[in-house]
Amino acid sequence: MSNRENGRKSVLVIGGGIAGIQASLDLANMGFKIYLVEKLPSIGGRMAQLDKTFPTNDCAMCILAPKMIEASTHKNIELLTYCEVEKITGETGKFKVKVKKRSSFVDWDKCTGCGLCIEDCPVILPNEFDQGIGKRKAIYMLFPQAVPKKCVIDKREDRPCKAACVDACPVHTNIPGYIKLIAEREFKEAYKLIRDTNPLPACVGRVCYAPCQDVCNRGEIDDPLCIRDLKRVPSDQWSIEELEVPPITKTDKKVAVIGSGPAGLAAANDLALRGHKVTIFEALSEPGGMLRVGIPEYRLPKEVLRQEIGYIQKLGIDIKTDMQVGKDISLEELRKAYDAVFLGIGAHGGMKLGVEGEDISGVMEGIEFLRAVNLGERLGVGKKVAVIGGGNTAIDCARTAKRLGAKEVTIFYRRSRAEMPASSEEVTSAEEEDIKIEFLTVPSRFFAENKKLATMACVQMKLGEPDASGRPRPIPIEGSEFTISVDTVIAALGQAPEADFAKQSGVSLSKKGMIEINANTGVTSVEGIFAGGDVVTGAAFVIDAIAAGKRAARSMDQYLNGQPLEPEEEWKEPEQLSQKEIENLKERFSSRNRVEMREEPVKKRTQDFREVTLGYSLEEALEESSRCLAGQIEGCIECHECERRCEPKAIMYTKKNESIELKVGAIIVASGLGLYDVSTLTEYGYGKIKNVITAMEFERLTAASGPTMGELKRPSDGKIPENIAFIQCVGSRDFRYKAYCSSVCCMHSTKEAMLAFEHHAGTRSTIFYMDMRAVGKRFQEYITRAKEEYNVTYIRSRPGRIEVNPENGNPIIWYEETTSGEVKKCEAELVVLAQAMVPQISREFAETLGIELDEDGFVRTVDRFLQPLDTTKPGIFACGYVHSPRDIPDSVTQASGAAGRVAEEIASSRLNRDSQGGN
Amino acid sequence: MDEPRIGVFVCHCGINIAAYVNVPELVEYAKGLPNVVHAERNLFTCSEEGISAIKRGIKEYDLNRVLVASCTPRTHEPLFRAACEDAGLNKYLFEFVNIRDQCSWVHMREPERATEKARDLIRMGVAKARLLEPLEEIEVKVAPSALVIGGGVVGMEAALNLARQGFDVHLVEKEPELGGTLRSVHKLFPTNQEATKLIRLFVEQVEKHPKIRTYLSSKVKEVTGFIGNFDVNLDGKGGKSKFNVGTIVVATGADKLKPVGQYGYGKMPNVITQLELEERMKRGEPLGQNVVMVNCVGARIPERTYCSRICCMTAIKNASLIKESNPETRVWILHRDLMTYGVDFEKYQRRAMEMGVRFIRYSLEKPPEVVGDKKAERINVYHELWGRDMELPCDMLVLTTPLIAGEDNQDISKMLKVSLDEFGFFLEAHLKLRPVEFAVDGIYICGSARWPTDVAEGVSQAFAATSKAAGPLRMGYVKPEAINAFVDEDKCSGCGICELLCPFQAIELQPRGDRRVSHVSEAVCKGCGTCSVACPSGALTMHHFTNEQILAQVEALFS
Repeated sequence: MSNRENGRKSVLVIGGGIAGIQASLDLANMGFKIYLVEKLPSIGGRMAQLDKTFPTNDCAMCILAPKMIEASTHKNIELLTYCEVEKITGETGKFKVKVKKRSSFVDWDKCTGCGLCIEDCPVILPNEFDQGIGKRKAIYMLFPQAVPKKCVIDKREDRPCKAACVDACPVHTNIPGYIKLIAEREFKEAYKLIRDTNPLPACVGRVCYAPCQDVCNRGEIDDPLCIRDLKRVPSDQWSIEELEVPPITKTDKKVAVIGSGPAGLAAANDLALRGHKVTIFEALSEPGGMLRVGIPEYRLPKEVLRQEIGYIQKLGIDIKTDMQVGKDISLEELRKAYDAVFLGIGAHGGMKLGVEGEDISGVMEGIEFLRAVNLGERLGVGKKVAVIGGGNTAIDCARTAKRLGAKEVTIFYRRSRAEMPASSEEVTSAEEEDIKIEFLTVPSRFFAENKKLATMACVQMKLGEPDASGRPRPIPIEGSEFTISVDTVIAALGQAPEADFAKQSGVSLSKKGMIEINANTGVTSVEGIFAGGDVVTGAAFVIDAIAAGKRAARSMDQYLNGQPLEPEEEWKEPEQLSQKEIENLKERFSSRNRVEMREEPVKKRTQDFREVTLGYSLEEALEESSRCLAGQIEGCIECHECERRCEPKAIMYTKKNESIELKVGAIIVASGLGLYDVSTLTEYGYGKIKNVITAMEFERLTAASGPTMGELKRPSDGKIPENIAFIQCVGSRDFRYKAYCSSVCCMHSTKEAMLAFEHHAGTRSTIFYMDMRAVGKRFQEYITRAKEEYNVTYIRSRPGRIEVNPENGNPIIWYEETTSGEVKKCEAELVVLAQAMVPQISREFAETLGIELDEDGFVRTVDRFLQPLDTTKPGIFACGYVHSPRDIPDSVTQASGAAGRVAEEIASSRLNRDSQGGN
Repeated sequence: MDEPRIGVFVCHCGINIAAYVNVPELVEYAKGLPNVVHAERNLFTCSEEGISAIKRGIKEYDLNRVLVASCTPRTHEPLFRAACEDAGLNKYLFEFVNIRDQCSWVHMREPERATEKARDLIRMGVAKARLLEPLEEIEVKVAPSALVIGGGVVGMEAALNLARQGFDVHLVEKEPELGGTLRSVHKLFPTNQEATKLIRLFVEQVEKHPKIRTYLSSKVKEVTGFIGNFDVNLDGKGGKSKFNVGTIVVATGADKLKPVGQYGYGKMPNVITQLELEERMKRGEPLGQNVVMVNCVGARIPERTYCSRICCMTAIKNASLIKESNPETRVWILHRDLMTYGVDFEKYQRRAMEMGVRFIRYSLEKPPEVVGDKKAERINVYHELWGRDMELPCDMLVLTTPLIAGEDNQDISKMLKVSLDEFGFFLEAHLKLRPVEFAVDGIYICGSARWPTDVAEGVSQAFAATSKAAGPLRMGYVKPEAINAFVDEDKCSGCGICELLCPFQAIELQPRGDRRVSHVSEAVCKGCGTCSVACPSGALTMHHFTNEQILAQVEALFS
């Protein structure tokens, strides 16, 4: 036989823990081709969960990681993680193995393991790797040192709705995502998620026209979600002031943003986050644009706006107020001083009625009126106020007039209620506040008495054929004129931009005086000048202005980086549920009405400018957010946030499980150990008493990559325990549970007691044990060291029960001291249970393999002395904990042993074949 | 060589380093060192992320030297070297700086000084890295044969395994017959099968296997050479033998402690050891009505701190066997902690209790006392659980003693240049992850020679050791480290000091024309550096640790 003749045979190793890894490496080094199958997304097994290992106190990950990497880079080893063996046929020397490759929903050929996708995933689940103490996301990496370092999406079923809300939203905010986070009480995260697409969540959460709600799929079942109202919940429940500034890589580019309204703020925000230095020029004395001077305080408190602008400023943005471009500084100057300019000056010009008497004192223009009030001017209105117009501004003017002391406020609108552009909610609120609306009425002339406004002449209208806007044209009814007495008239007919100054730089304007842009990119007719918002569209909604600002910012960034301008990909149209889907969903989810947001009573709220809506209470917010259809499922809700983040485009929601077939000569089973569920033991209160944890939980609490970053804090109050009790044989050596000795607990508890001391010098530990089984190399000496140097006391006893000290949450352990026979109690700050360990192999899987298990579920071997690693099926071998309870060195030894047996088996079967009749 | 372009990668090692050493500061510091063109930090440089950071760094910054400041080269150097190789860099252009084992871990209580020291270490590492040179490894052929020392069941299993894979095996046993310690054992726990039958099964297979050559009453006298090429000299009853093997498995087992002077052993005829009891039971000799066993005699005491793992089960087995053959006999086991770990031992012990074996827990502070003059008549013991003194009648007192390191271990360790632990057992390369390997390549360890072990575990270990030993045999070649000594023959005066000092017999004087000069066998040289330090002519250079490199480090330290 030639030494070089190898690699002819392949071996399947089941289980990617230290035993499986070692067996694979040994065989690979002998030239065999190895398939290492692991059902989790990473190899590493239990050892990866450990902090340190006895008796050397080597950091587990530090000695395991090189082995994992070696296995992953070995040319003879093929890692099959997130895979399961489904079927085995054939016999020793010629097994056929069917392996199921579970879909990770991530293309691992593309995934770089950067983890960017994880950060913003809104679905928070218990982290199994941290024994459920910490949390993980629906997209996750098993642990930071995972091998292979790839992400996996925990997607268990399809999302029940179409998430039409996201498609309808002008900025495509991840609505199911933030609602899920609210339901999980993760308010800061929810705010951050909204903020990714919308820099003014708290403002928009008050004033948005919420196109999302119109298409919400839940609306097809019962009521649509209160998406807008939920948007303000994060900032109601948590303070924006606590939001940190993310690390930003600075560029050397400077940008001027003209106008600090929603468009300008959105553009500035996005440009600053991309590292550019942004200066905002604001004509008025206060930043915020229409949010500041157009929307009344009772709808959007100035403090809310101030906070959100404050955060934008924290990104390094300079806001220069009282700087009107075209007057205080020219556009040309800015063009020269900055690398790019954004025009977001809005539409602040009022429109004239064009009727006689409009210049009489007492007749005011609506937008100017609101601006004056919002900037704190003390404006008086008369007792009888007439507001002309039917838009939201008219309603704002009327309600503001009411709050300024008007006794009688009437809105005059030339069409009927159905044509009113104002939102119906606003109209309703106004009417609640005793504001009358006269429809089909237009003022024709104002009359003064003593130079003061006295009466207003009006004409009645009727509706005719539709006009250019598609609405029926109002036609005056002849002879319908009438006159009413009035003290103040506020004409809210619409707003127009004042952008003439831009012409001088060559920016082309439309006939109506609006700036002309490429709608996809925000580019104006002049290179380096971009525009968006009301100045382009005329008066529109806040969220549309934000969308325009963001669109322009994206193009400006491309422009500043010298890249070609590429518009964003088209978003799909909102989808509706099919009739069948509606029926199914109705069956699955019971009908729940929306939680309406409470408001101040009319009497109170019209006295001053207090905010009308009261916000949700925590309970209401949780109740309403839990109605979201997407959030009804466990695991990934397909909000596509990861897809937005993933730079290599590795996310594949539609990826399916695959099956592969392998041909191998031999199989090694190294599926490791499971942890016995100790909540079935009532005496120690696990699962009920907070400060009673398991040894593996303790391990995660001290591990550097664990949920507390290695800080040993007890669950009840986060206190560092200085007095810890360890209870041994919990579920082991106990006929009620597992009669056998789990073999490693004496040592790992001793190690954990040492670690507690190392984390916090002076920590006292007490270990309650039956026999201290320290039978390995250097184990006795380890125990001695624990006693002498680490403040560990060993008490021989099996505690009977644990109760809690109600004052401090400390567990109190009742036990009979076996040496004295006395019943004693011991109060500790933390109790750690050495839970029994079980072989991690099911009877079904054993059947699939065709091997036998013993009564305790360990793999049965053929002959203890002659073939200690052979299972009952020839060609299949076992090692590690699934073979019998054992520690890491013994598992590693067995793993090498199993590899040795495989080498022998394959070689000797060949030799026998090669030399038939001989030998 | 081009101008050095050094990349420095500083590892947080989770909190192992970062909690005590200011890693970001080290990175900034490294950036300012000569020839450092890139420095970064990684949470775990050994993670897949860290490894790809090294590879990426080599490509992006065109690095021609890589320095990692992290844990220890003992476990991690191969990994980082492989990363360099993958990225097309000769692996000897990699430099390791240990800022964990030798810095953060030792200076946990003085983080500022730890950072300062780490700065020094990195500066020194960079100074050396600038002078690193690429080295090439040679390929050494491996002879397709092995030596197994020790003919107990563990050694026999190792021999059989290798033979079945087609390799020639030389099995050496110092006694006149195979079987080792088990020859004196009556039955085996926990199956109670007869030891001699098991031995016979093994011996038959060994004897009939054509690939195994057995040397009885023989001892290995001398081993020279290195992995792939060990020359072995035997001394035995059949005369001297000499052969060449690729790898070696040590399976020499352990000795039994004779507890002379304890509990009347050696003076009182009815005080015997477990092994002596087994021999009596094998012969079927009567034991009397009352048998008392005392565990941990000579074990888990200050003079011999360890637990020898198999003794509790040995005692329980013998007690059960006594009860089985004569249920009327009363048997007590006086024990400390009962080491019946796992599934079967726990079950076995419970069965012994059911059979009527009495277990009495005693403490080290109050050991049992023997009452009697000529023979042990009664045993007084303080029953720890009952909290009272007891007096037990005694016809036979059986002392359970530990296994101790084999008497030949010292010699073997010197001969093979492998280490022993503080108890005289053989010392493995790494307690947890390399339990059957020695630090020396090509030599492996199994069975009780490393640590007391029962038969099943010993046989598993035999497979493990052969799995390692078969690797090089199957591949047919090995590539030893290229870090070794190099002779400048012009400078060499032929004084022979190096030849004398070399602990690996890697150097010999060879004629060169009219004079003799040192010659280094690259495959044998372990790169310890003894020769280059001792050479009075400065003719010996240690690759990777040249005088220039080391002096540069020293200068960097004090600069």
